[in-house]
Amino acid sequence: MKQIKQVLGGDLRQYTMVLALAVLIIFFNVISDGRMLTSSNFQNLLSGNAYVLILALGMLMVIVIGQIDLSVGSVAGFSAMAMCILAQKYELPWFIGVLIAIAIGLAIGAWHGFFLAKLGIPGFITTLGGMLMFRGGVIWISKSISVPAPEELRFFGSGYLPEWGPTFTGMNNSTLLLGIIAIVWYIYTELKRYKSEASIGGDSATPLWAVVTRVVLVSLLLAYFTWLFGSGREGTSFPVPGLILLILIFIYHTITQKTTFGRHVYAVGGNKNAAALSGVNVSRTYFLTMMNMSLLSAIAGVLFVGRSTAAGPADGTSWEMDAIASVFIGGAAVSGGVGTILATVVGGLVMAVLNNGLMLMGVGADKTQVIKGLVLLAAVAVDVYNKNSGRSSIIGKLFPSKESTEKKEG
Amino acid sequence: MGSSPFILQMKGITKEFPGVRALDNVTLEVHTDSIHAICGENGAGKSTLMKVLSGVYPYGTYEGQIFFMGEEMRFRNIKESEHAGIAIIHQELTMIPELSITENIFMGNEITKNGLIDWDTQKQKTVEILKKVGLNISPDTLIKHMGVGQQQLVEIAKALSKNVKLLILDEPTSALNEDDSENLLQLMLGLKKNGITCIMISHKLNEIAEVSDAVTVIRDGQTVESYEVEAGHVDEDKIIRSMVGRSIENRYPEHESHPGDIIFEVKDWCVEDPEVPGRLVCKNSSFNVRAGEIVGFAGLMGAGRTELMRSLFGRNYGIYKSGTITIKGKTVELHSVEDAIENGIAYVPEDRKNLGLNLLDSIRKTIVSADLKKILTGWLLDADKELAAAEEYRKALRIKTSSVDVGVTTLSGGNQQKVVLSKWMFTEPDVLILDEPTRGIDVGAKYEIYKLIHELAEQGKAVIMVSSELPELLGVVDRIYTIFEGTITGELPASEADQESLMKRMTVTSQS
Amino acid sequence: MRKKVLAMLLTAAMSVTMLSACGGGREGSSTSDSSDASTEETADAGEDSGDAAEETSSEGFEADATIGIALPWLGTQNWAEAQDMFKEQLEAEGFSAIVQAADQKVATQQQQIESMIENGAKVIVVGPVDGSQLGTVLEKAKDAGVYVLGYDRLIENTTGVDGVVQFGSVKTGELQGQALLDGLKEKKGDGPYNIELFGGGPADPNAPNFFTGAMSVLQPEIDAGNLVVVSGQTDFTQCATEDWDNKKAQQRMDSLLSGNYSDKEIDGVLSPNDGIARAILTACEDAGQPVPVVTGLDAEDESVKLVWEGTQYCTVAKPTKDLVAKTVEIIKSLQAGDGMPPTDVTANNGKVDVAIYELDPTVVTQENAKEVFADDEARMELLQ
Repeated sequence: MKQIKQVLGGDLRQYTMVLALAVLIIFFNVISDGRMLTSSNFQNLLSGNAYVLILALGMLMVIVIGQIDLSVGSVAGFSAMAMCILAQKYELPWFIGVLIAIAIGLAIGAWHGFFLAKLGIPGFITTLGGMLMFRGGVIWISKSISVPAPEELRFFGSGYLPEWGPTFTGMNNSTLLLGIIAIVWYIYTELKRYKSEASIGGDSATPLWAVVTRVVLVSLLLAYFTWLFGSGREGTSFPVPGLILLILIFIYHTITQKTTFGRHVYAVGGNKNAAALSGVNVSRTYFLTMMNMSLLSAIAGVLFVGRSTAAGPADGTSWEMDAIASVFIGGAAVSGGVGTILATVVGGLVMAVLNNGLMLMGVGADKTQVIKGLVLLAAVAVDVYNKNSGRSSIIGKLFPSKESTEKKEG
Repeated sequence: MGSSPFILQMKGITKEFPGVRALDNVTLEVHTDSIHAICGENGAGKSTLMKVLSGVYPYGTYEGQIFFMGEEMRFRNIKESEHAGIAIIHQELTMIPELSITENIFMGNEITKNGLIDWDTQKQKTVEILKKVGLNISPDTLIKHMGVGQQQLVEIAKALSKNVKLLILDEPTSALNEDDSENLLQLMLGLKKNGITCIMISHKLNEIAEVSDAVTVIRDGQTVESYEVEAGHVDEDKIIRSMVGRSIENRYPEHESHPGDIIFEVKDWCVEDPEVPGRLVCKNSSFNVRAGEIVGFAGLMGAGRTELMRSLFGRNYGIYKSGTITIKGKTVELHSVEDAIENGIAYVPEDRKNLGLNLLDSIRKTIVSADLKKILTGWLLDADKELAAAEEYRKALRIKTSSVDVGVTTLSGGNQQKVVLSKWMFTEPDVLILDEPTRGIDVGAKYEIYKLIHELAEQGKAVIMVSSELPELLGVVDRIYTIFEGTITGELPASEADQESLMKRMTVTSQS
Repeated sequence: MRKKVLAMLLTAAMSVTMLSACGGGREGSSTSDSSDASTEETADAGEDSGDAAEETSSEGFEADATIGIALPWLGTQNWAEAQDMFKEQLEAEGFSAIVQAADQKVATQQQQIESMIENGAKVIVVGPVDGSQLGTVLEKAKDAGVYVLGYDRLIENTTGVDGVVQFGSVKTGELQGQALLDGLKEKKGDGPYNIELFGGGPADPNAPNFFTGAMSVLQPEIDAGNLVVVSGQTDFTQCATEDWDNKKAQQRMDSLLSGNYSDKEIDGVLSPNDGIARAILTACEDAGQPVPVVTGLDAEDESVKLVWEGTQYCTVAKPTKDLVAKTVEIIKSLQAGDGMPPTDVTANNGKVDVAIYELDPTVVTQENAKEVFADDEARMELLQ
């Protein structure tokens, strides 16, 4: 047992949600006669849920600072609709349209940030106002009629990486390249970590064989998914929205774990007063976090209309709830200070796989919602139970720089 | 009702908490229709005694007997003691600011008619009671629209509405200005005439001297002395001697100081209370600290020590009015904590759990948290540098932990404080302000913290240590400022100071 | 301990799946089902053929194939009926049916259609939440060789649609407008009449058509002064009811009445469907107005009762039965390899001309209700 623990690199309990995700995938794959683990299904899964996961990345940071953003759906709908209307009316090139959407997102974020950071109005209220305003705004500017999106955006919303190079690989070579990069990068970081662990914290270092086993297992898994995404119908590959999502995950994981700003986000969420006394500019942290959330909302909106080929007046309705659910399934605390990007992504994927699997089984949207609600409650209940019984928070601490910190809620 | 002259007799009260004997065979006897003062240092056991009396600690959790108006009382909760006629006015006011006076006074004791609240009767009664405490305002006034002094009076009115016989006031004037304080004392004298006995817990010996009929001094959970006095002729020095009482044992490490130049100087520092406009929490404070010197600030709780230090630390508290800070000969304006840290000031707050630490963080993250720039490599935080720093301080400060990756909540109070000290030492400050650095820490850990403070001074840092434990100050620091009600009332070299002389300046007697 | 064992089992299971999966090449792997292989063939065939519906490959498919039905939601009676009828009739024909409703969420509907493709559906019938936001997934369906039929609403902004079955929407509007005029003459004596106009959900491409159809009848009368729209709101955008939401219609009616009818009586209201009609009637009742002449659509039970009682003047029956029957007929033709049945009507959806299979609706009033529902047992029971 100890060996397995060392291979996984820490506390097994941290992996509860990852295990749940694996169980779900295998369960649905068996029950749907293998329709879950197919190239096209996983491609759909990523393209169809990228926007929610992107929202969840920003929402995680908002929830960590102890706030909530109810406006993300409306902001996504509004910025995408404004982009489509302007692009259509003035025949703007698509990238100008995207820049406009992003600018709108930033402006709205600054607006929310101003009310929260400068006037001290709670985020819940600030963004409830934003939710109403921008939902109304979408309907207003669109006159309640859907507007076609610039053609080129379909590449970002549902496109595939190009085909090139030799055919003997038996799969899309862009995807193959991506997979190889991922595997090499993983091996590199693991070895680097092993080295630094060995040189500094000599007593608690993981043995080499465990690191090697871990690297081999994860590499196999990555290789499998590379193959899964790359071997679909000719012309398909790892989807472009999935790639955008991956890049954003990488960026936000780095921001939250490896930058001063990220530390400040956790500090403000953990103990605002202590953070202020440690020289953290609390209101600036609030401001930037809210602004970032609306920026990501705009990006999510653009991806969504890219896939939908048009911006609709109801776009974004209740997206905030999906994003918030992903964050909490990922083990974040309502009181703030706890939660990681990677755990949030796992939380979002659990929701997505659940959705997808139930649809493959032909379960209706009504029952799917009931099941999703139960899963949300169950995930958070297990987390709270674990915290209360004095054990480490399972999910919240999912691989954050490999700590087994015994955090308790303050 | 017996013929006993005492309204209250507490006999042989002993109360133990796990590992601590908070009260040890305490006796308190209060004459009917008198004002009885209880004095003692912070933590002497005054509040615990009052909690026993009022039923917060129910009968059975303590030893001893309580006789009230001649009968033995066995209170199981506050409701029962209130019912018997005992009411406590706490230091922190407990009224609901958004509700009116009437609503607050009858909170939990509403007068009802047919199941509905009888507002007319309630208001009528409120007006009557308010008159008794000398307040002539509408019973519909919201609490939040009243000053602290008036709120205090409403609190007393609330107690009176319950037919109270014995009123306990826990540091009633600590939040009040001088006029309001005087008002309150007069009210107590008035209540005495109307057959209501008062127990007053206070640090302000001048106030005690003004109104008390009897004084009981408690020290280390024991009754030291109890005697009757004549209001206006109280020997304050006698009280101080009783309060301090003990000798300083050899609990402090040897230290020889080598003060250098003045590197930190504050002049005419004035700060206004952010909640009570017009009330200054720091009044023209001026002081200085030399390099390598440890300067103590002695003052009782609420004297404005913490407020002074936090206002100096980048205006973290209060509204800045006037004054200058000079660091190493250069006058600086510190608008934010960031500024303060950049200019070489560090502040270890008194309230470790609420202000000093993010309890969700691990040790390594906490240690670097006040100066993240030092662990940057390019744009990114460098985990190796962070780990190296954390390990360095773990070893240097002998923080007892299995790993620096564990959460700070797993540590004992002493080790937590070492982590907080590490966090500030990591910023390499010139001036280190320590606010009650040994609070809630056991004796062994205290000794280590003292040694650390000495080491810091030897490195040439200017160290300011705020403490309400006089022996600690006398044992550790080189020079002591006393502070009372926001004013610096004295400055003494530690070698010339003793507890009596300090306590006198900390409480401001009527002779001074 | 149990957790650890579980973890081991899982790790083992994952690696087995991985290894078995890795055996295959790009086409027809061991984990993917047979539909993948056939997908490839039909997709190629699809590329050869053109865009128009009639030209799509006419090879047909198995008689027990899977048919996907994607409905927008089940919040109104006609959609709930459609759900049951499709399931019943398709299974009676030997097909296996997947019927899913999307709860009015575009994203959900997109994912449902994708899962139908995954499940190897040969035909997907789509009652869209928003007819213009399904481009990508429907084209994906087309690439996979799946026939896509629009149901009840036009599907816009995509090449991935083979035909649409619907009631003539402009025609429906004309009928509603005419019924309103007839009703006013019948119930409210001589004109001019005070009326108000309501439109349907603007995201539904049929809604403006209903309105246009109705206005083609009403506008001349308004111009002639026989009808007075007291609020002056005669644009579709002013009159539209977002998401066909009854609640919003009622709010609008409340404010119209309080704002414009404090000293007037309202004689008639053009309502695009029954739910909105009932909301309007409720609002009028609350405001103390006499019952106005109100039109409707869909012949929902509740409204059929009201028509029978004389409260709601009329409804327009677009029997779901007919629509489903026509759709199933087309599916059978496709199965047999006869391709899309011919039709004269086409509509441009922004990208291509789409074949439209139009059905005619019927106006139902108190007078003709018994005739119209003669062979509809459930509704006859309402007319007691």
